[in-house]
Amino acid sequence: MGLELSIFIDYGPRILVGFWLTIKIVVLAIAIGLPLGVFLALARRSRLALLRFAATAFIEVFRNTPFIIQVFLIYYVLPFYGLRLPAEQVGVLALAAFGSAYFAEVIRGGIEAMPAGQLESAHAIGMSETQAMRYVVLPQAVGVILPPLTNQMLSLIKESAILSTITVQEMTMTALRIQGETFRPFEAFIMIALLYWLLNEVVAIGMRRLERGLTRKTPRSTTLKVEGGR
Amino acid sequence: MSRDAKFLELIEITTKFDTLTALDKVSLTVAKGEVVCIIGPSGCGKSTLLRTVNWLAPPNAGTVRLEGQSVGQAPERRQTGRGIRALNTFRARMGMVFQQFNTWPHLTALENVTRAQVVVLGRSAAEAAERARAALCDVGLADKIDDWPEMLSGGQKQRLAIARALAMDPSLMLLDEPTSALDPELVSGVLAVLKSLAEKGMTMLIVTHELGFAAQVADRVVFMEAGRIVEEGPTSQDLHAPKTERLKDFLAKLTATQMPSAMAQKVVAHDPI
Amino acid sequence: MKFDISYTFDALPRLFEGALVTLQISLLGIALSLCLATGLTLVREATGWTWAHRMLAVYISFIRGTPLLVQIFLIFYVSPVIGLDIGPFLAGILAITLNSAAFVVEILRGGLASVPKGQFEAARALGLNGWVLWGKVILPQTFIASVPALVNEYTQVLKATALLSTITIVELMRVSQQIYTRNYHPVEVLTGTFLMYFVMCFAVSRAAAQLETRMKRRQA
Repeated sequence: MGLELSIFIDYGPRILVGFWLTIKIVVLAIAIGLPLGVFLALARRSRLALLRFAATAFIEVFRNTPFIIQVFLIYYVLPFYGLRLPAEQVGVLALAAFGSAYFAEVIRGGIEAMPAGQLESAHAIGMSETQAMRYVVLPQAVGVILPPLTNQMLSLIKESAILSTITVQEMTMTALRIQGETFRPFEAFIMIALLYWLLNEVVAIGMRRLERGLTRKTPRSTTLKVEGGR
Repeated sequence: MSRDAKFLELIEITTKFDTLTALDKVSLTVAKGEVVCIIGPSGCGKSTLLRTVNWLAPPNAGTVRLEGQSVGQAPERRQTGRGIRALNTFRARMGMVFQQFNTWPHLTALENVTRAQVVVLGRSAAEAAERARAALCDVGLADKIDDWPEMLSGGQKQRLAIARALAMDPSLMLLDEPTSALDPELVSGVLAVLKSLAEKGMTMLIVTHELGFAAQVADRVVFMEAGRIVEEGPTSQDLHAPKTERLKDFLAKLTATQMPSAMAQKVVAHDPI
Repeated sequence: MKFDISYTFDALPRLFEGALVTLQISLLGIALSLCLATGLTLVREATGWTWAHRMLAVYISFIRGTPLLVQIFLIFYVSPVIGLDIGPFLAGILAITLNSAAFVVEILRGGLASVPKGQFEAARALGLNGWVLWGKVILPQTFIASVPALVNEYTQVLKATALLSTITIVELMRVSQQIYTRNYHPVEVLTGTFLMYFVMCFAVSRAAAQLETRMKRRQA
């Protein structure tokens, strides 16, 4: 069977609609997940043992289970406790929760990569815990954190494909529909694969630029590695 | 005794790290304007004692008082709420200088010195910058104001750290082996800055290995070993006519490599600015 | 509705069977991925075939830049269309292998970087070349240096196999779906499944972390 180019033209617009939803979902998930991740990272260093334990448990649980089952569980648990949300919103929540666990680990790694004397000198001069974080630790951690943080954001783009399993009409779901209608799976899936790939590269390049802009002043050589999702 | 005589009091400080007793009921009183050098072999607890003063190393037992007010009282190791705010106020009044400088690499020299003034003391940016310029000038870094710490030598970094502490207008300076991480040729510049501080009447508690410097600046020398103060007295007596065998031994070993009189000459000869 | 834990317990025996399949598939996947990645590493490091290096770079970028789920769909739906009737199981294994290998190649690159240059020079000085040099000297050291990262990669593969439920492979995730579509108690059943995945992945990632600290200590 040859390549049916008309599929790209006929169904391209529908794919783009799905593509747009994918982007929206990922951006929302990052907007929720990143602050949550910062909170979890700080909670893991809290004085309160209970908060520390809760944050650690949350992070470990989300990092050590497949995203697809997290999605299904959240999808069924919310209505179980009376909270009925559209699939899209469930998807954003699930992706944000999943992302926050990985973001937290990246941020914690960045904080811990810092020499202990930095935090100590901030305390010694009279800064509170929050001030020390805000003015001394986090600004320095940004340069170390940004590359692995970018990887986590990229992995959220990829994981968002899994939301098709709970009927979110994002790009992968759209492709599944189109292949069901046309029986042209190659065209449908290669189209979205290329779009995911493109998005991935664009974000990666953009973040590398941003990183260079932010860290130009203070070169740093430390690198961090944290594995994300697929 | 007057309030000035009991400016800083450390009362029966005991600190344990697991099974190791780092400090064993150590008491020390420092008068206002006094310069006290703490010497002793590594691992004797001298750095821990210094870090007890501003509660960076909270002890298991004991009390620290600054001008009669309690900085911290063991066993409350981690304070909360009002306690921690009070502690931060005390810390702001005690300038600390570390062996490893701990200058902040993401800020310029000037910002290193202004940041805490603004954040902790609530000074305006202009006020802080003015104070910072004066402090940087005092340590001989007037021409390095816009440099990044990474561009500075070790000695300059340490002087930047001293300026950062001075700009807070502390009533007490704590110095933890301020020259130990420096190349030999950079030591004298830092010592000269400290010497001029002492002459201006700054109260200082210094952990050091520089006996020549101690001989010159210190009003009193405290010799520690194995978590206790073994000998304590006026500098001339301690360094030149030690009472205990241990201090004699220690001095003999150190002077064999350092020759305090030669070091002292070097300090005098150096002009800081 | 109330959480009725008896549904979780009732599901356990079948979930265990599903977990066993998950373990089998994931082990097969990581083994094949390691073989493929080793071959690709040799192509990249021991040959001067520029065209192959370029294709390898594109392959790695594509795999890392697109969702695994889409890769699975591509292989599963497209293979019958082009006349390859391989069925869901083979398609699934193939997808997992191709995906994981792209990550393992990078892990091996890191492991290879930790092999001192002197090892190459010493082996060449002894007249060792080609298969002996790589097979007996360099690769063994590369593998040993990569062990913690490879164990970590295994947790990724373990999690990835859950996606195979979407192409009807009856592993742990699919088994739990089969159970709750019959008893209408998804929350109880999925909770059991969730815990099972957690226990497996957590155990493996703990092991990876411990291996890593142990190896760091040995180097120090």
